[in-house]
Amino acid sequence: MYIQKNNTTLVQEVMLSIDSFPILRETVIFKEALEEMGTARLGIVCIVNEEKKLIAILTDGDIRRKLLKVQKPFSAFFVDDVLKHSIQSPITVGPKESLLDAVMIMEEKKVWDLPVVDNEGVLVGLLHLHPAVKALLGVEK
Amino acid sequence: MENRLMQVGYGNVAKVSIGGKYPLVFIGGPCAIESRDHAFKLAEQIGEICQRVDIPWIYKSCYDKDCRSSPKSFHGIGLDEGLRILSEVREEFKVPVVSDFSDSSWGPETGEVCDMVQVPAYLCRQTSILRAAALTKRPILLKKGQYMSPWNMKNSVRKIESFGGDQILLTDRGTFLGYNMLVNDMRCFPIMGETGYPVCFDATHSIQLPTSMGNISGGQREYIPHLVRAAVGCGINALFMETHDDPENALSDANTVLDIQYLENILGQAKAVHQMRLELLEKYGEDNVHPEK
Repeated sequence: MYIQKNNTTLVQEVMLSIDSFPILRETVIFKEALEEMGTARLGIVCIVNEEKKLIAILTDGDIRRKLLKVQKPFSAFFVDDVLKHSIQSPITVGPKESLLDAVMIMEEKKVWDLPVVDNEGVLVGLLHLHPAVKALLGVEK
Repeated sequence: MENRLMQVGYGNVAKVSIGGKYPLVFIGGPCAIESRDHAFKLAEQIGEICQRVDIPWIYKSCYDKDCRSSPKSFHGIGLDEGLRILSEVREEFKVPVVSDFSDSSWGPETGEVCDMVQVPAYLCRQTSILRAAALTKRPILLKKGQYMSPWNMKNSVRKIESFGGDQILLTDRGTFLGYNMLVNDMRCFPIMGETGYPVCFDATHSIQLPTSMGNISGGQREYIPHLVRAAVGCGINALFMETHDDPENALSDANTVLDIQYLENILGQAKAVHQMRLELLEKYGEDNVHPEK
């Protein structure tokens, strides 16, 4: 099967809007982040500061790796600030970048999601792999 | 987490700074306010000792002891009389004062007089008390409940913060090991310190054997020096010890209060260990062995 490269679609056309994925403040405890991830059925939460700038992300993979490393009781793990177990300075894309480039980054970095931030670092959306692939394949939403 | 420092003392009393690299602070006095004369006598004697040791001091005494084991035990001198005496102690000795309060309706008056308000250990997760403490706008001495893990104290901290409180001294007074027995988990100081707030060790309640005497609590005062050295060496910002000139006849906590004849000894040691720890931090840097990844 031959699929023509779609170089015209932009990230902002496909990204999840900010009301459709979990966004938390840095003071939230780890357990609340897990609950949010479960509710949203996504493997990522984005953590923002007061100015809504992205400061970190927490993904399923980060949690798996932490479970094998953290030696303290779960009750202590759960009340840690979410920021303590998050990836700070995560990889991001801009809303006007090409979708194809963004998916190439996902492939290279082996990630399922890319937070989308504007020039000021403010979180404006989330690029999730499944809708991105569908858009590239020309499959209707 | 950055160090959050606190300053205790309003008006013309001594200003006591707690946290970071400030000197170790002593918080102490008779458990209960027994009378005006007794409060003054102890304030004078403790003040002289703290001056000799050269240690900052906050006078602690309570007007209502709502957690006594027996209804026959001395319940306290009462809100109005107690706060009047504390106010006079402040004025006379220029020392900041702290009292606990176990009913949220007493918060405003307690905060009006006291430089610091104390949340009792049994009530450390009681939202109404934490709210009342925060609303006083005074620094808060928050005891860790004997039933609480040190990490779960963060929930109480967050409650206080949600009500506008931003000066909290997290204090360990021992943790239940089964019935009638307390132990000190020294890890609780770095764990509670992760909140960024200063931490305190309550030595005289830690050696308590809660309600071990049937309808009153016993205590093993002989271990106070050992636990004080351990806690200060572990890293605390303040040391809390109830002190009495005649423990056998003390109206509250007779089996746990420190006899004032030993106070200078203990404070001298505590100050020396605290100073040594600061020097070690200077020499070797902050504790950073196997940081959690």
